[in-house]
Amino acid sequence: MAEKKKFSRRDFVVGSGTAIAGGTLTVLATTTPVAAAEDQGSYPLSNKYLVYDSKNCAGCYGCMIACSMAHDGEVSFSLSRIQMHRAVLNEYPSDIIMHVCKQCPEPLCVKYCPVGACHISAENGNIRMIDAEKCIGCQTCIKMCPQTPHRTIWNPNAKKSTKCDLCTNTPYFNKTGGVDGAQACVEACPKNVLKIVDTLPLETGGYEVDLAPPAPKGGFGGRGAKPKSKPKQEL
Amino acid sequence: MATPGFGGKILLVDLTSKEITRLDTDQYAMYGGGHGTSTALFWEYSVVPGKWNLDDAFHPLNMVFLMTGAVSGTGIPYAARTSVSGLSPQCYPIQWWCHSNFGGTFSAMLKLAGWDGVAVIGRADAPVYINIVDDKVTIEDANDLWGMTTWKCQEEIWKRTGVRYGMDWQLLDGGYTLQRPAIVTIGAAGENMTRVASLVHGGGSGAGQGGFGGVFGSKNLKAVAVVGSGSIKIADPKALVDAKEKYHRGGGGFGGFGGGGGDVSSCCAGCGMGSRMCHNRTRAFSKDSDDCAESTWYTITQEQSKGVQLPRDINRKGTDIIQQFGINGMETCFMGPMEFDTAHNTEFAIQPKIPAYSALGWYMMKMHEMKVIGPGTKFDTAPLPMDKFPSQEFMEMYGRAIANREGFGKLLGEGTARLVEALGRTEDFNTIARQTMWGFMDHWSMPNVEWAYGNLLDSRDINSHDISWRGDAEQAVKNYAAGTLGNEPLWFDYTWKGDQAYKTGIYSKYKAEWVAWHMHYWNYYKESVGFCDWGYCNIGNNGRTPTAEPTYLNAITGRNHSFNDGLEIGRRAWNVKRAIFVMQGRHKKMENFTGYHYMPGASYCGFYVNLPILNGDKWEIQNCRELYFTREGVDQFKTHFYNVEGWDPNSGYPKRKTLEDLGIKQVADFLQSKNKLGAA
Repeated sequence: MAEKKKFSRRDFVVGSGTAIAGGTLTVLATTTPVAAAEDQGSYPLSNKYLVYDSKNCAGCYGCMIACSMAHDGEVSFSLSRIQMHRAVLNEYPSDIIMHVCKQCPEPLCVKYCPVGACHISAENGNIRMIDAEKCIGCQTCIKMCPQTPHRTIWNPNAKKSTKCDLCTNTPYFNKTGGVDGAQACVEACPKNVLKIVDTLPLETGGYEVDLAPPAPKGGFGGRGAKPKSKPKQEL
Repeated sequence: MATPGFGGKILLVDLTSKEITRLDTDQYAMYGGGHGTSTALFWEYSVVPGKWNLDDAFHPLNMVFLMTGAVSGTGIPYAARTSVSGLSPQCYPIQWWCHSNFGGTFSAMLKLAGWDGVAVIGRADAPVYINIVDDKVTIEDANDLWGMTTWKCQEEIWKRTGVRYGMDWQLLDGGYTLQRPAIVTIGAAGENMTRVASLVHGGGSGAGQGGFGGVFGSKNLKAVAVVGSGSIKIADPKALVDAKEKYHRGGGGFGGFGGGGGDVSSCCAGCGMGSRMCHNRTRAFSKDSDDCAESTWYTITQEQSKGVQLPRDINRKGTDIIQQFGINGMETCFMGPMEFDTAHNTEFAIQPKIPAYSALGWYMMKMHEMKVIGPGTKFDTAPLPMDKFPSQEFMEMYGRAIANREGFGKLLGEGTARLVEALGRTEDFNTIARQTMWGFMDHWSMPNVEWAYGNLLDSRDINSHDISWRGDAEQAVKNYAAGTLGNEPLWFDYTWKGDQAYKTGIYSKYKAEWVAWHMHYWNYYKESVGFCDWGYCNIGNNGRTPTAEPTYLNAITGRNHSFNDGLEIGRRAWNVKRAIFVMQGRHKKMENFTGYHYMPGASYCGFYVNLPILNGDKWEIQNCRELYFTREGVDQFKTHFYNVEGWDPNSGYPKRKTLEDLGIKQVADFLQSKNKLGAA
């Protein structure tokens, strides 16, 4: 049996380098979900994390469309587990913000789910997942998500919660998903600003990374230096 | 239940009566959505009732349509356009039934709210905006928004909800969303009912050509806002993803207009993969700016600038001006970024180079140089500081004068063609005022004659960048013949001199068949389905056409349409459109190019000038920059074209059999009742 790495919420917040390195080793052989371990105060880390580079995002919504398509077979911004928001009149880089599920070291969605629907899936690389069969639609996971906006998603049609499972359960995806497979959002991104990593990012700022995609060749009228600041010309 | 890919309903708002009606999208499926469905609805709601003369785009009974297509919002590259239709105030001399479109997120959001389109008729008695929140539609007071720039208006509507977009999940009818409403609005140019007013969405997505901003203004309609929390059903999601990978794998595009080195490019909803990245996020002085007509609006020819090199920032500030005032950048620009040599033809009226696009700004300065306008002349140019040209100060006043119709801006706001007429210089249409047709200025439409013929037979510059020729001539022609499914290489003989021009070249029945194919394609796959001109059609070099279009559409809708089924839907919508034109007075005798098309130099603005020519039994790619039409040749072409379309060759009116075969007998009956049906 592989080493089962555990991690406290404090480690996540503080961002211990040692803990992060250890997280890469996490593999569980068990085929049963890992029960909530609030009594122990620690949880196995997820094996993989989704990170993003909003500064180089094209704002195409391709990730969101791919997510809802892969999971639900329809286009829905509301059901997408990854959220990109384009404030098109804001100054760069605040014109685009992205929100991904952080696969928290101490997943409160898991911790407080009253029926064990929200669980850590050992057979899927310790991803924090919601078992739709067990979900009773109480929305506790949504209320307890510590992120703003919450990363657990409410499906009003199914009256159940969902969340990012790194494409483990994607009946409409044409690839094998999950920790060892592909992710629809990553596949769909034209600018390569989404990436799966196996190192736990820092809770603050760690998921926003500089993936520095190569700048495309300048087209007609497209050349020009990136401004250091962007003065407004209001009329 | 709605057909997958569609919301299932179309919103009809009467601003006079404040009545809000839902129409069943599927009832109009035979017209294809988008512009095709708009055309059918206009026929039904505005033409058939016969309550007005169809002659004034600012009349309350004119309608303006914002319509999506089957591919809108589905994440397919080149598929984010919102089609705009209505009688156009820009069209000249008759304000024809016309069209435009814009990108961004509006079409996706409209479908996520459950609507396939918005149709507006009537005139509000005070400024309003239409607010769509999922299934709920309200007509809101816009008195305090009137007078705001397009950017401020959008920001104010967003503020009204008190929501922290992107941070707070808001509960709508269909579920929760983090997204803000997508808004299309007008600025001062639209409010003041200029004929050069655009619709602006976001920072720089805009529908410029057609002047539909003025139609909004005439209706006291400041904006349409929509936010949706629903979904777009997809019949076969896996097949759709497979199609995307097959036709657009690789992604990133060529870093086109907005994506130049150093800038962070961006794009319309869903259009990332394989797209051109037409917008950018980091460009100084502009937001979400499209880099084509907008960012080239205030570029000046060397001849007119007298060698003054404008700092790039001035051009970019110009982009802001037209976006915020809501001005049609294409129609009012000074040239665009390119010029072509003309000195080899000393008789040509524009020397030594011709700008790629000689629109309002360029023509105005030409008139000033010739002392037709300016201080002390019959046409005072105040408040324009002519002595400050081409400074930023001049540019800003030019934009303000147009948008607010100040002083000389009253004439400028009428657009180039009407300015020419007001100056008493319609002879310029033969030389320096290169109005391609119907109030739209020349735009690379020659020597690609399918573009030019499209302008003639439609109601505007069809803005069709889809055909270009490169590589081995034999193979290229073979590819095009196969790719259209027409299997006729002679469609692509651009011979323009001698008998061959009439037998197989640009005046032949083969060219008429090709132009008909092109217009049917355009009416369905581009303006109705919603594919963007930058990506479709895509025929040469084993391109996406003709397999990508039906593959995508069938995966989305679950239908089993062939490529040619789509062309037939396009032909149907094209014939209803023709019937509207006929009701507006269109006749064969009106369909003649402006004078410069018949003179050497007609193709001097051309960009794609290398075209296939059949030389004996061999195909060659030849430079056709010297191509121009003859009047006799165009007459022959029209006869061929009308016959191909099943229209009366003497009048250009559709025949009953043609309309009945298309399943639109009611159109034939109506035309007959007005003595406008083509002779059998």
